[in-house]
Amino acid sequence: MNRISPAAAPMRMKPQKENRLYLKKKKGILQELVKNRVLYLMLLPTIIFFLIFSYFPMIGIYYAFTRFDFNTTMFNAPFIGLENFEFLWKSGTLTKLTLNTIGYNIAFIFLGHGLAIFVAILLSELSGKWFKKITQSVMFLPYFVSFVILSVIVYNIFNYDNGFFNSMLTSFGMEKVDVYSKPVLWIFLIIFFFLWKNIGYNMVIYLATITGISSEYYEAAQIDGANIFQRIWYITLPMLKSTFVVLLLFALGSIMKGQFDLFYQLVGNNGLLYNTTDIIDTYVFRSLKVTFDMGMATAAGLYQSLFGFVLIMTVNYIIRKINDEYALF
Amino acid sequence: MGKKKRRSGVLLLASLLILALLAACGGGNNGGGNQAQEANGAGESPKPADSAAIDTSKKVELQLYMLGNAPKDLSMIESEINKMAEEELNTTVKFNYTTWTDWDQKYKLLLSTGQSIDLIYTADWTQYSSYAKKGAFMALDDLLPKTAPELQKFVPADFWDAVKVDGKIYTMPATYKEFVTGGFTYRKDLQEKHNLPVPTDLASYEQFLLGIQKSEPNILPVFMNSDMKALHWTYMDLNKSISSDVPYGLNIKYEDPANVIQYWGSPEMIEELKLYKKWQDLGLIPKNVLNSKDDGTDVFPSGKAASVFGLNPTKYNDAKMKMEAVHPEWDLAYVPYATTTKIAPPVHPIHNGFAVPKNSKNPERALAFYEKLVLDKRYNQLTQYGMEGTHYNVESGYYKMVGTSNTNGFPREAMNGWAWRNPEYMLFDKSYDNIQEIFDELDQYQTPDKFLGFAEDFTAYQAEKAALEQVEKQYLYPLYAGLVDDVEQGVALFMEKAKQAGLEKIQTEYTKQWLAYVEESGIAK
Amino acid sequence: MTIKADGYTKLFKAIAYTVVILFSLVCLLPFVLIISASLTSNHAIIREGYHLIPSEFSLEGYQAVFRFPEEVLRAYGVTTTVTIIGTCLGLFCMTMAGYVLSRKDFKARNGFSFYIYFTTLFGGGLVPWYMLITKYLGWMDSYYALIVPSLMTPFLIILMKNFIKSAVPEELYESAKIDGAGDFRIYWQIVLKLAMPGIATVGLFLALHYWNDWFSSSMFINDTHKYQLQFYLYNVINSSNFMAQMGISTGVTLAGDMPTESMKMAMAIVVTGPILLLYPFIQRFFVKGLTIGAVKG
Repeated sequence: MNRISPAAAPMRMKPQKENRLYLKKKKGILQELVKNRVLYLMLLPTIIFFLIFSYFPMIGIYYAFTRFDFNTTMFNAPFIGLENFEFLWKSGTLTKLTLNTIGYNIAFIFLGHGLAIFVAILLSELSGKWFKKITQSVMFLPYFVSFVILSVIVYNIFNYDNGFFNSMLTSFGMEKVDVYSKPVLWIFLIIFFFLWKNIGYNMVIYLATITGISSEYYEAAQIDGANIFQRIWYITLPMLKSTFVVLLLFALGSIMKGQFDLFYQLVGNNGLLYNTTDIIDTYVFRSLKVTFDMGMATAAGLYQSLFGFVLIMTVNYIIRKINDEYALF
Repeated sequence: MGKKKRRSGVLLLASLLILALLAACGGGNNGGGNQAQEANGAGESPKPADSAAIDTSKKVELQLYMLGNAPKDLSMIESEINKMAEEELNTTVKFNYTTWTDWDQKYKLLLSTGQSIDLIYTADWTQYSSYAKKGAFMALDDLLPKTAPELQKFVPADFWDAVKVDGKIYTMPATYKEFVTGGFTYRKDLQEKHNLPVPTDLASYEQFLLGIQKSEPNILPVFMNSDMKALHWTYMDLNKSISSDVPYGLNIKYEDPANVIQYWGSPEMIEELKLYKKWQDLGLIPKNVLNSKDDGTDVFPSGKAASVFGLNPTKYNDAKMKMEAVHPEWDLAYVPYATTTKIAPPVHPIHNGFAVPKNSKNPERALAFYEKLVLDKRYNQLTQYGMEGTHYNVESGYYKMVGTSNTNGFPREAMNGWAWRNPEYMLFDKSYDNIQEIFDELDQYQTPDKFLGFAEDFTAYQAEKAALEQVEKQYLYPLYAGLVDDVEQGVALFMEKAKQAGLEKIQTEYTKQWLAYVEESGIAK
Repeated sequence: MTIKADGYTKLFKAIAYTVVILFSLVCLLPFVLIISASLTSNHAIIREGYHLIPSEFSLEGYQAVFRFPEEVLRAYGVTTTVTIIGTCLGLFCMTMAGYVLSRKDFKARNGFSFYIYFTTLFGGGLVPWYMLITKYLGWMDSYYALIVPSLMTPFLIILMKNFIKSAVPEELYESAKIDGAGDFRIYWQIVLKLAMPGIATVGLFLALHYWNDWFSSSMFINDTHKYQLQFYLYNVINSSNFMAQMGISTGVTLAGDMPTESMKMAMAIVVTGPILLLYPFIQRFFVKGLTIGAVKG
């Protein structure tokens, strides 16, 4: 008896203590809610929105583990474990696909934002109202060209028989180049067209951020005799850092998801180029076009999500340790 | 001043929120509510039904889904139809169209999300058999005699048998007999001018192509686009395969269905691919054909190409009409593959049909209405050709469109009503005579379609099938386009990857199912 | 000293003008190609491909697009309405969210940021989404299906939060509070003014998203009178793709003439045209010094 009681006592005590803590915490939440009720109310539409349109449909992730049948609903469909994931590695290309996807995304993120920052700075330092107006608008134009139409144009430029590019080479007396059978070339072409299409968009973000920088900083720098390069280096760039880091973090989470249309439209059926241009999304699309099995589609999505999730949690944790300001959450 | 204003701010915000939420919910309810009301509402006017057996005391709205784009004047036709249907069946119908944008995805969604749809189009190319096998449609065997007895009599018994999946009827097939078999389409004027052979098989076709290439440098000998299977299909057709598209690298000859041949990796396949390689080297296949974005419309009227393979008689006639409108001095001709192979199966009954999805709430009314659509001349002609006088006229027995396709809001068969065509009521354009001529020619080679009745069940090898799809695109398509220098090596690589993806498992299972089908259907005899 | 600085400035300007002009040309070129193609006769495109100057001038592409003008104009109406309503509503919700999440004294901000961000990582796929809209919300053929699901995106909220954080100094909240301003009034009277370039950017992006949206129409709209403009374009292209891929083997014949190459290009121009005017309008907010003026005023 005696030997038991010391152990039993804390065990009896524990619930009480927890209860108190719980009460205190509950009170804390209530207090917080009351104190910041306006803020909570202002956030409410957002909370409800994502609850309905994002969290509620997430139930569908369960499809990844079931076999679909028209006579069953989602919940009484047979549970089949990881069978739906099999097709991902069956063709033996999963590693390659994963690497391709990540590689392209890294290039897109860094080159995309780097160039956007570069152009935004140039534009912000230039004068000439009309010049700026027109060039900015022109840079936004590619954003409106859908990839379907872009692919038609690209084919017209690069095709071997009567493409623009090859006609030019011949008229200069050079050998024709069969662009569509050179997989390595397409790494650059795809990155190029991604940049071409998206720089205008990203540039606006940085332009808006630069606009927000207080001009007092620049005036002070001018008085100190800083030249234009120093001003950009010491004032503009550091001010853009937080925006860049946030966008970077944001993009990391979807590093396994690709620009499906870009790849699918530009490469299409050309198996010769798949080694360097196939990403997970195009693979999944092609594989499931015939069966269109939602279990397998969901499984592929889940694979991409899990990867992104782990990555972003790790990176965000590290960033928060370094500088809380830059963390995403 | 702060406090009061803050209050009003909060109040404003809160009321805005509530309003927004209410509006959203209200909207939702409205959408659903209306339908429910229409569906359940007021059985006030019970009409004596035509087909006596079914209960039409309650007014219902049927949801009919068709593929493709809705014609501009659909609402006009719909309201005319509904006037009649309401009176005769106490039913109204909503004709819904999927458009061609992501139609396959939408088709799947419509069937799998439990929406109540009463009639939906089916075809071999919408995977009728697979859907039926997986339980997406309602079995109609018991319903037909009760709700659509006339239709049941009208459609021949062997048609009903042909659409059966696992012994049950899941779709109501069309009865219009047509041929969608392929053929060579070529510029006759050029063939005669340069004294080239008429293409009847691949050898004479090759001669024709080379002749064009030599003497008409500004015209492509043959038009091709990124769908390289079309060429392979032609090859298989000409080699008397049971279907141009026996999947998974197998081949089955028309004469001997019980014998499943291993095609991929075989000497025959290498021979086929070497032909493409040769054509590629000769410059007959465009170098970047896999990326070609050309959809192939207007190749003839624009004078781009001198031939196309694979067109069916109707398509050929369309192309001919279009070309003659611009260049009456040119001439287009057609050689069906059947003249060489002596095999010409007319369309299989599952090629066009309408099914009742599993979630339909009014299957009886749906069938009764569909019976009207097929057998009642008023319903049928209205939905096929539009309003007489507004959209078309009948001139000496021929269909004549009012205006042009640019001004007419309902051209011929604008509702894509291929499935409810009724041969007795059909009106044809004058140019149809050309097609009929080809059909008559094909009639002498008429043989039954032995392949399409087979319903494959790929549940057991779904993952392998998906993986194989990728391998095919990556390693086989370049071979189809003749872009791989060493064919043998290319085939070996392809086979290695295909086996890795599980080809053998697929083939074994597929062969098993196929042989069971051959046994059961008796097509081998 | 000043002379040297001027030298640097001159060098910088020279580089800047060259780069900007070159880059603009690269962006402009394909667009010129599209315009030219839209003005070329269809048969010439099929025969010879695209040229910078139409090889055979023709307006047939535009005539085909506008053969039933009321349909295109109606689609314009739908898209414009949806874009305006959606952008206003979405901006209101997202600026509030961005404001709340940027407040340092709001303890739950990390939790809620995560709540929002998490939705970009995981999704249930198309089927549950489709069921939600059609079955549970009953928004088939409803404008709600075009507007509501696109009101907010995590990306734009995080962007908004970031803009507000950098545009509104922390001290401003303190002083406003001391003056007795409530949380909503700070947002309404101070934050909205100071973060104008950011709001304009997010608004632009949201408007572009609505304008370019075709998927909602494709999935949730059966009534041809409610099609969005972009869907019109997509459907034109997809119909001819369908014929190219399926037509031969299925024996499907479609009524009427198929869209032509020049029509596709003309459609692209018709769809893009009006929204291009939005950008110069937004540019007003990117003029330096505007923010400073707002603080002082």
